[in-house]
Amino acid sequence: MTNQDQIKQNQAMDDNTPSETTVHIVFEPVGRRGEVPASVSLLEAARRLGVELTSICGGVGICGRCKVRVVSGQVSELTVPEREALSQQELEQNFRLACMAYPLSNCQISVPSESLSTPMRTQVEGMEEAETAIAPPVRTLAVALDPPSLDRPLADAENLLQVVNRSCDTPADSIDLGVLQELPHQLRAWDWRCQAHIRGNEIVAVTPVGAPPLGLAVDLGSTKIAGYLVDLYSGHMLAAQGITNPQTSYGEDIVSRITYAERNSGGAHRLQQVVVEGINQLIGELCAKAGTDRQHILEVVIVGNTAMHHLLLRLPTHQLARSPFIPAVVSDLDIRARDIGLAVAPGAHLYIPPNIAGYVGADHVAVLIATAQAWSESTTLVIDIGTNTEISLITPEGAITSLSCASGPAFEGYHIKYGVRATTGAIERVQITPDRVFYKTIDDATPVGICGSGILDAVAQLRLAGVLGENGTFQRDSHPHLHRVDNQWEFILAERNEYVITVTQQDVREIQLAKAAIQTGIEVLLRENRVSADQIAKVLLAGAFGSYIDIGNAVAIGMLPALPLERFSQIGNAAGVGARQLLLSEPLRKTAQALRSRVHFIELAPYPGFGKIFARNCRLSPH
Amino acid sequence: MTKEKLVDAIANMKDQEALQIARQMLEAGTDPRVLLEAGQEAMVIVGERYERKEYYLPELVVAGEMLKEIAEMVKPKLRGEALAETTPRGKVVIGTVEGDIHDIGKDIVAFMLEVNNYQVFNLGVDVPAAKFVEAIREHKPEIVGMSGFLTLAFDQMRLTVEAIKEAGLRDKVKIMIGGAPMDEDAAKYIGADAYGPDAAAAVKLANQWTGGN
Repeated sequence: MTNQDQIKQNQAMDDNTPSETTVHIVFEPVGRRGEVPASVSLLEAARRLGVELTSICGGVGICGRCKVRVVSGQVSELTVPEREALSQQELEQNFRLACMAYPLSNCQISVPSESLSTPMRTQVEGMEEAETAIAPPVRTLAVALDPPSLDRPLADAENLLQVVNRSCDTPADSIDLGVLQELPHQLRAWDWRCQAHIRGNEIVAVTPVGAPPLGLAVDLGSTKIAGYLVDLYSGHMLAAQGITNPQTSYGEDIVSRITYAERNSGGAHRLQQVVVEGINQLIGELCAKAGTDRQHILEVVIVGNTAMHHLLLRLPTHQLARSPFIPAVVSDLDIRARDIGLAVAPGAHLYIPPNIAGYVGADHVAVLIATAQAWSESTTLVIDIGTNTEISLITPEGAITSLSCASGPAFEGYHIKYGVRATTGAIERVQITPDRVFYKTIDDATPVGICGSGILDAVAQLRLAGVLGENGTFQRDSHPHLHRVDNQWEFILAERNEYVITVTQQDVREIQLAKAAIQTGIEVLLRENRVSADQIAKVLLAGAFGSYIDIGNAVAIGMLPALPLERFSQIGNAAGVGARQLLLSEPLRKTAQALRSRVHFIELAPYPGFGKIFARNCRLSPH
Repeated sequence: MTKEKLVDAIANMKDQEALQIARQMLEAGTDPRVLLEAGQEAMVIVGERYERKEYYLPELVVAGEMLKEIAEMVKPKLRGEALAETTPRGKVVIGTVEGDIHDIGKDIVAFMLEVNNYQVFNLGVDVPAAKFVEAIREHKPEIVGMSGFLTLAFDQMRLTVEAIKEAGLRDKVKIMIGGAPMDEDAAKYIGADAYGPDAAAAVKLANQWTGGN
C-alpha cells in the first residue's frame, strides 16, 4: 500500500467495502489459491489465502521484504517505492512488492522463500523454576452423584451442587452456563462420577475422574508466542511450545500493527482474531504433546507488553500510540477465557497481570515476579531486551524504577542488510582477528544471514580489532575483509560462490542506535536513583536475545555497564516463568498488583538531556 | 594560522585541544570574531563529513557543545562592541508534530540548517498545531519544518497545515516535511510544499526557497 493509498483510505475511511469484481489468485510454490476482491493488494490477498508473507513496515512499501514474482496475469502499474526496492534484474523478472501491486486479472504469483515469515527459534525454556507455593484459584473436587429417579427427580445442576457442598467447606452456588450445556450428557456418560472445578463460588468446569487439572501460561510477545501447559496441582510443566505471532504479517512492530488497526475498518478485530487463532493453535499443539484435552484447561494467564495486551483484548490503541501514551487500563484483569475466543474449559478464567505504563506491560511485571527472589536486598538491574527493552532498577530498600527504551528491531535481525531471525543457518557468534574472521551458525548450517547475537558480536569484534573507530565509522584499509561496495564500506563475514554475508556501515549505525538506547536507559535509571554503575550487584538479562548474547562483547561497546562478568546472569524467558507462577498462585496475583503500584515509571524520550546522552552513547566504547 | 588550527581541532573532535587553542587565541588578543568564524568553518566540515557518513550523531553533539563553549568564552571579550553578525539567510521554525516524540532526525536537520546560516527556532517534540502558529506569528520565518516518525503523524501534520491556513499565515511560509514514513504523496496529502528525505535535502529546499542555490 502506498502512502497515496493510505491517504485515499483516510479520506474514504473504508477499504473493506466488498468489491463487485473478484479475481482468482494462485500462490506457488506454497499451493494456496482462491478468490479475492480485485481491490486488495497481493499482500492482503496472500493473507486472506493463508500465505504468511513477511512485511516489516505494515504494507507501506518501505521494507521491501514482501517480494513476489508475477508469473502470469495482469497487475497494477509499477510504483516508485518498487523501483527503489527492486533491482533492475528483479524488475525484468517481473518481481513486485506484494503490498504495492493490485491484481487486475486472475494471477499466478510465485513467492520466494525469503519472503515467507519463517518459523524461528523461540525460547521456551525459562530459568530454574523458583519455588512457588501452589495455590491456584481453582479447587478440584472428585464427586459421585446419586442418579435421579422418579422418586427423586433432582435436576442435574442441583444434584451436582448438593454433592459438592456436602463435601466442601466453601460452598458453590452457581454453575457456568457453558458447563450446564454439557453437564447432563457428561454425567450420564461418566456414570455419575466426575471432578468439579470450583472458582470462587462457581463451578467453572467438569471433567472425568482422573483427568489432570490443567492451566495454561502464555508469554505473548510481539514476534513470538510461548505457551506452557502446567498441572495446576503439582505445578509440573507438561509441555512447552513456541510459535510466531501471526500478527507479524500485519506489521513487524507494534506501531505498524496499531496503524493497521486504525486505518482498516475491522482491522483491530482482525488482529485480535489472528492472535487468538494463533493461541488456540498453540493450545492444540501443547495438548497433543502432553496427550490431553483442551477442555481440561481450567485457568489461563497471558502476559504481554501493553500494546499486545490491548490488541489481544481489542482495547482502543489510538491513545496508546500517541504521546503521552495512555493505556486503556493498567489494573489486572480477570475475565472469561471464552470472551476473547480462547478454546479451553467452558467457564475457565483468563487472568492478565497489571501493566505498568504505555510501553512497560504485564510481561515486565511477570519478569519482576519471576526474579523477585534474586533481586531482594541488593541493587539489581533487570533488563528484558527486545524491540522495546524494558529495564528496572531495584534498590536494596526495594524501590523499583522502570522505563522502556526503543531499542528497535535490529537485534531481531531487521534493518540489517543480511539480518535474519535466530533460525537455522543464522550467524550467531563472530570473532575477528587482525586478518581473519571466524563465525558459528545456528545448527552449524550453511550461513543464511546474521541474527541479533551475531551482529552484536560482529560490531564489538570489529571495534576491538580497530576496524571500526570509536564513532562507529569503518577505518580505511584496516582489514583485508573490508571493501567498498556501492559507495559504502562493507565488511565480509562469510563468502562462498553462492552467497556473501557482510556487515555494512549502515548496519553498524543501526546497532549503535539500538545499544545507545539501552545504555541511555540504564544511565537514566542510575542517575534517577543516585546510584553509580559499580554499585550494581546483579544484572539479570531476561528474554531470548539477552540469554544468547556474549556479555563481554555487549560490555565492550557500552551496551551493558562495565562490571565483573560474574555479576551478570542470563536468565532465559523470565516473563514465561512469571506467567507460570501467577498461574499457580492466587496470592502472587495480589503481590503483582501491589508490585505494580510500587513501580516508579520514567518516560525516557522527554527526559532532560536525553538527546545528548543518547547521541554520546552511540560511541562504541565501554561505560 | 592558529585559526586553521582551531578549525582543525573542532572538525576533528579534539575538544580539549580546541578549547585550549581558543583560550590561547583570546589571551594573545585575537579578535574574538575570528574564533566564531573558525567555529562556523569547522561546522561546515563536520556537516560534510556527516553527509559522507564518516561522522555520526556523537560528532554532531560534541561539535555543537564545543561551539557553545567557545561562544561562552568569547562573549565577555566582545564587551559593548557590536558583534558583526552575519545576517542569517533565513528563519526556520521546526518541530516534531503532536503525538510524536522522535527528535533525533529533526535535530540533525536543525543542526544542518544552522550550519548553513539559517536562524532556527526548534520547538522540540509533541508540538501542537497552535504552537506552530504562535511561533510563526512571533518569529516570522520563511520556512516551517515538520517532522514525524510515525505514520500516525500524517493526519497531525495535515491538521497543523490547516491551522496555519486558518490563521491566515499559509502564504507567508513554505512548509517542508520529513521523517521515515514520509514521501511526496504524503506531502501532497498534508498540504506541505515539499518533502525532504534527509538533512541535505532540507538545506537544498531551504536554499531554493530563500532564492539561492
